[in-house]
Formats: sequence, structure tokens, C-alpha cells
Amino acid sequence: MKKLRLDPLSLAGLACLLLLVLPALGSLVDAAGDPDAIVGPRLQPPGPGWWLGTDNLGRSVLPRVMEGVGTTLLLSSAAVLVTAALSAGFGVLAGYRGGYLNELIMRVVEVLYSFPAIVLAVLVAAVAGPGQLAALASIVLVTIPLMTRLVRAAAVAVAGRDYVTAAVISGARLPRVLGRHVLPNVAGTIAVQGTYALSVGISVEGGLSFLGFGVQPPQASLGVLIRQGGTYMMAAPWLIIGPGAVLVLAILSINVFGDGLRDRFEPRETRSLV
Amino acid sequence: MKARMDKAPMDKARMDKALLEVDGLVVDYGRARALDGADLRVAAGQTVGVVGESGSGKSTLGAAIGRLLPRQARVEAGEVRVAGEPVLDLRPAELRRLRRNRLGFVFQDPIASLDPTMRVGRQLRLVLGREGRGDVAGQLARVGLDAARVASAYPHQLSGGMAQRVAIALAMAASPELLVADEPTASLDAQVREKVLDVVFTLAAGAGTSIVWLSHDLPAVARRCDRVAVMYGGRVVESGPAAAVLGAPAHPYTAALAGSAPAAAAPGVRLRPVPGRPPVLTGPSPGCAFEPRCPFAEERCAVERPAPVRVGEQDALCHRAADLVGELEVVA
Amino acid sequence: MILELDDVTVSFTTGPPLRRRRLDAVRGISLAVAEGETLGVVGESGSGKTTTSRVALGLQRPTSGTVLFDGRPFPRRRRDLAGRIQAVLQHPHWSLNPRMRVGQSVAEPLAVLGRPAGSLVAEALEQVGLGAGFAERYPHELSGGQRQRVSIARALITRPSFVVLDEAVSALDVSVQAQILNLLKDLQAEFGFSALFISHDLGAVRYVADRIAVMRDGEIVETADAAAFYTAPEHPYSRQLLESL
Repeated sequence: MKKLRLDPLSLAGLACLLLLVLPALGSLVDAAGDPDAIVGPRLQPPGPGWWLGTDNLGRSVLPRVMEGVGTTLLLSSAAVLVTAALSAGFGVLAGYRGGYLNELIMRVVEVLYSFPAIVLAVLVAAVAGPGQLAALASIVLVTIPLMTRLVRAAAVAVAGRDYVTAAVISGARLPRVLGRHVLPNVAGTIAVQGTYALSVGISVEGGLSFLGFGVQPPQASLGVLIRQGGTYMMAAPWLIIGPGAVLVLAILSINVFGDGLRDRFEPRETRSLV
Repeated sequence: MKARMDKAPMDKARMDKALLEVDGLVVDYGRARALDGADLRVAAGQTVGVVGESGSGKSTLGAAIGRLLPRQARVEAGEVRVAGEPVLDLRPAELRRLRRNRLGFVFQDPIASLDPTMRVGRQLRLVLGREGRGDVAGQLARVGLDAARVASAYPHQLSGGMAQRVAIALAMAASPELLVADEPTASLDAQVREKVLDVVFTLAAGAGTSIVWLSHDLPAVARRCDRVAVMYGGRVVESGPAAAVLGAPAHPYTAALAGSAPAAAAPGVRLRPVPGRPPVLTGPSPGCAFEPRCPFAEERCAVERPAPVRVGEQDALCHRAADLVGELEVVA
Repeated sequence: MILELDDVTVSFTTGPPLRRRRLDAVRGISLAVAEGETLGVVGESGSGKTTTSRVALGLQRPTSGTVLFDGRPFPRRRRDLAGRIQAVLQHPHWSLNPRMRVGQSVAEPLAVLGRPAGSLVAEALEQVGLGAGFAERYPHELSGGQRQRVSIARALITRPSFVVLDEAVSALDVSVQAQILNLLKDLQAEFGFSALFISHDLGAVRYVADRIAVMRDGEIVETADAAAFYTAPEHPYSRQLLESL
């Protein structure tokens, strides 16, 4: 197997991403303090005891940002895994089988694709009721159309290759052809588009929670924090700068990492989701 | 670096009117070496077929003549002169003038070499320019096309053969001194192939244009060209008059290439393949690049870069060329 | 006869709705391949060679005409033929799954049949002139000629009675082509399979084939013994192909 070699820039992206996520997953959150504990006066600028300042309830912002990154990334990653699994299934079937199945899948995907992302997300939240599940479902619905289309396109290309024809001639059944030949050879596309979907997922979660349809306080997510920060933007700008910077950094590093994966897996230019 | 590359013997008397001179050209793509000291001479009005398998460096050589090498290519050593001008050292304006006035190029994929957004007539008018070297219809008629129909067509509406004729008309519009054709008929069918080649050679003969035709097909090239240069491992390993190279090869690789083509085999005779496979160089070849596959190789072939040897009418890069005269069987 | 095509036409419809046109990829072609025989099919791009190959492999149903494999029509289920027909296809770069080791690729036709591979993979690799050690390699570590040898090993591992070789050597360098052509002749002498050898290169076709069918514009213009294509084929188009060699 070829070794997965990436350029320094995308490795830096990956490192930056891990740096953002690891503290949230580990016990470092505890070390930084309880995200829900009131530690001091309200709306204090950064200082000892509250390194990123305090919010409107006197909670320290630093542990809240750490919890927020964790919530947002976990939620988005879960959603992207769902998207990847569904897109892989639909895309490979549509691309390999063609015919009516292909038409059906692609029409549904096009309808979804025609909605602006945030409108779709708000619709889902309105139907399912605000909360984590609504955010997750929204991210899936927003990211699934492009991913399915690209997986389908990759599957169409793979389906025409001689090793697939050779397997069919040998008498291989559909599950073997798809599982052994088509899926492994579109896995690169899925991985690349997965990273782009992740950054879209983060912005969708941010947007939804910002509008109040996503994660609900007191649980922190980047969107929740930015929304709270927005209210006090003039009086306490640190409330929005911390989570805002982290959001930008997360999306940036994911995209940089995704570009590296893309260069590695599909040297020809493909579109990113954003 | 340059000093280590062997120089071809300059056949001063015959070659002082050389239009194209390539001397010890070394070109790398990253770590891979595409040209490993290639020499080529083309006199004014001469037609030269450059023959080689994939990876032999022939396309790199063709591109270097017009300094059309891809960005990642690095010229490590050597010189290219067209009509005495050092192509690799020219300033951009001089290079453009040289390409415009002296050089023409025809590539493998004719449709891709035309601008898909522009009608054929307009592309021709752009090339003909202010000087007005004859009208568009005349240029199209010269390559055997129905001007009325083709001038208003977009490239994708043309067949491969027609598109290649348009590309030839574009390349020959300025009556260049040298036409470089890189596998111009590779994507065409046999019926069309010969007609397109007829057009190229007739036009070139009329305009006094020299041709460098890059191809993998030794017999096809030998049928039409005055001279043939055979490339292997990034060098021109044999060059000479076409009939001599094909009829009495001086380099074991040329003989092997001529003998392994199935078209050359008589009925019932088994093909004699060249064992092994073409080399992939990552630096200068320490000896002869063909040594691992050569049935006549000696010890020094692996460690000593062969210098050109004159055998009959040919120049060959082979330590054993002189011993092998008459030994290399010809199948064709 | 291992394979018989009788008056086979394959049509496709193209173009926008309302202005649909019917295109015949092949029109009324008939050919037959006897046991142990190699039939060559020569023609240029667009002549219908590829469609002929797909019909012969049972991948394409004819619009009209009959196809018999071993005296019977192609079964509805591809699996009923598994192992009896194999193919070596044109593009050495895509002939092997890049994510499977050579050994897995070669063993696949056996796996499909549910037969144990045992030492067969090593034997097959030896037979095509690669060591058994190649089983552990990935396709990107091989040259074009080596990949095509692996494809041949994969095709022959089930000892098929019929093999389609569709432009199997066309993408290879001239000096490597001859190695593969000789290998094919040797293996055929050893195992006695019938073959359909499809190529645009008359030189390669007449070297391996017993009889040759010349295709042009979807039709067979001439079928004759390979010997005729060294001297004087009848049809003017065949003569043209011969001259351009």
C-alpha cells in the first residue's frame, strides 16, 4: 500500500485541528475549570482565573470555548459519518447500476441541492424541534447532495475500468464487485469530501445554534457561544472573539487538510463544498 | 556536468548549414531524468524522424526545441540552437519572435491543440496576422479542406483528421523553417494517417521547411524521412540516413526495435522480443542505458558511457558498434 | 464451435428526444471461433471492434441476431458461465484493482467460483514469467508489461475454454509487445483455449491469429486465413491496412 504522504501545510492543518479537539476530549477541560461554574464577576475582561474573560453570568469563557469546540466538532463529525455512509451507498449504487435507480437517487439529490443550506437547516429544525438531533440531521441533509454526486461520479469512472469488467466477466456478483472493487476505489473521494463536509457541518451548526435552532444552552457549542457573545459585543468583545477565532481556525485547518488529502487522492481539481 | 556529456562528432562539411543543433541536452523532471545528453542535428530542408518508445525522451526533446518544456522540467546541461540562436537562453521577446518566424508545432491530439471557443477561420486569421500571408480559404485549401465548411466550424465539430489538417495549416501558415511534429498521426485512423502525412510532407517540401517527426513507429518514419534518429534512455543512440538505419542498424537497440515489431515478422517466424524493459533513469546513466537488455554487452558497457562511433553512414552510441558490423540481423 | 455470432446487429439510440437517431455499432456481423482456434478481429477505432468484444463476452445483448457460446445462448445469469470465459482487456493501467495485491487479483476468479486457490496463484504467476514473489506486490509497483502478464495469469487461472483479448498489447512498448505476444502463443499451445484477439494493429493480429476478420464501419468486410494477410487480402480495405504496416 502506498504510504499516506501529505505536504507540510496540510499536516499543519491536521495538527492544528487535533490541538483544538484534544483538550475538549481529555481532562484538560476540567483543568481549565468547570464550564458551568460561576467563577467571578460578570463580563470581566481576560485576567488571572478567567484567561479569556467571563461571560454575562460570570462563567469563565475558556472552559466554555473548550466544551463548545468539543460539542461542535463531535456533532459535525457524527453527522459527516452518517453522510459518508449514506453517500457511499447511494453514490456507488447510482454510479455503478445506472438506470432508473440512478435517476431516482440523483433527482432527490438535486432537489436537496437546490435549497440554500441554512434554509434547509432551519426547515429541519422547525420540523424536528430545536436541539442536537435537529443540528445533526440538518448537517446530513446539507452535506449529502454534493457528496453523493461526487461519489457517483467517481463510481461511474471506476465502473468503466477494466478490472471491474474483468471481475464481472469472471462471474462476480454485485456485492463482490461493489465491495471489493468499486467502494475501495472511491474511498479517497469519500475521505476528501468528508473533510470538506466537516467544515460545512461546523458552519451549519454554528449558524443553527446562533439562530437558536441547534444546541441549546447551557450546553456550550461554538454557535451558542457566538450568539451569546454577539449580545455583548460592544461591552465585552472577548466573548465573541474567543469562539469566533476558534471557529475560523477549525474551518481553515480542516480545509487545508482536505486540500492535502485531495492532492494526494485526486490530483485533478475538484470542487470543495464551501 | 556539461563537460561530462559526450559530444557528437560534428560532421562539419555536411552540417555547417545545420538549422537545428541540440548538444548534450540533459533535462530532469524532479528526480526522473528525461534526457541524458541528447544530440541531434537537422540541416535546412531535411526531414528527420526521431524514433523511440515511451519514456525514451523524444517528446521532451521535441518540446525543448521550442522551449515548450513543462514547468517542472529543469534543463541541467546542454544547448539547443535554432538557426544559430540559443533557444534556451533567449529573452521572452526574442523567444516569441523565434517561435513565430522559424518554428511550427503539431501535436498528438489535434482537437485539444485548437482553441475550443473559437471558430477555425478566426484562429487562422489570428495566426496569419497583419502581414496577410494569404487568405484563410487558401490556407485551408492547401491542407485539403473545404474552406467554406471548415472555417465556420468549431474544433469539436471536426473529425480528428480534419482537426489535424487545421493544426497543420496553423503551424505552416507562417512557412516556418522547422516543423516539430510529435506523433501527429497517433490518434488518427490508418486511412487518414497517410493522407495527413502527405499533406505535411508536401507543404514542407514546398516551403523548404525542415521536419522533426517524433514517432514510435520506426518503419513508418523510415518510409518518409531523409534521416532517422533512434532514442533510448534519453539519448540519441543512433542516427543516419533512413535506409541505412532501417536496413543495416548500427546499434543493437535499433536492430532489436526493428526485429520485435510483429509487423516485421515473416509468416511462421517467431518474434524475438527484447528481454527486460526500458530504463527509468534518476540520474546520468553510468554506462550504456541499453546494457542490461543488450545481448552483445561487455563489461565496460555497464560502467563507461559510450561515445559516438561512425559506422557506415551512421553515428551510433555503442562501444561495440565497430565489432558488430554485419552481426546485427535485420528482419525487415 | 466455441463461439458463434450469426447476423448480429447492435444499435444504440443517441441524440435529444424527438430527434433521436438509431446508430448501428455493428451491423449484421457473423463470425465463429472453433475449439483451440484464435480468431483475429482487426479494425480501427469506431469500426465496431469493442462492441463485438462485448457481445462475445456476453456483456452486450444484440439488438438482433443470435449468439451461441458452446452451442447455447448466453445464460441469463452470468455466474453460470463463471470461469469458462475470461478476458484480457486493453488498458494495462486499469486492468488491475490498485487496492488489491497481485496475488488477490489473480486469485479472484477462483474466489468467485468458491474454489481454493492453494498453490495455483504461484503457478499461474510462474507460467506468465513472473516469480511467485509478485503475488505480494501492488499494481503500481509493476511496469505495463508486467501488469498485462498478471492480467493473463488472472484470465487463465480458471482454465477457461475461451479468452477474449481486447487490444491486450496495444498500450505496450514495441519491445515489450513481442514478449507478451510470444507468451500468449506459448500459453495457448499449452492450454489449448480458443481466443478472440481484437486489435487495430494488423501486424499483431496476423502474428497470433489463425483466421482474421476485418471490420470497418460496423461490418465485417473480409474473413480469411491469417496467411492471406501477409500477401494479398481480397478486400481493398484489407490491402490498405496491409500497406500501412
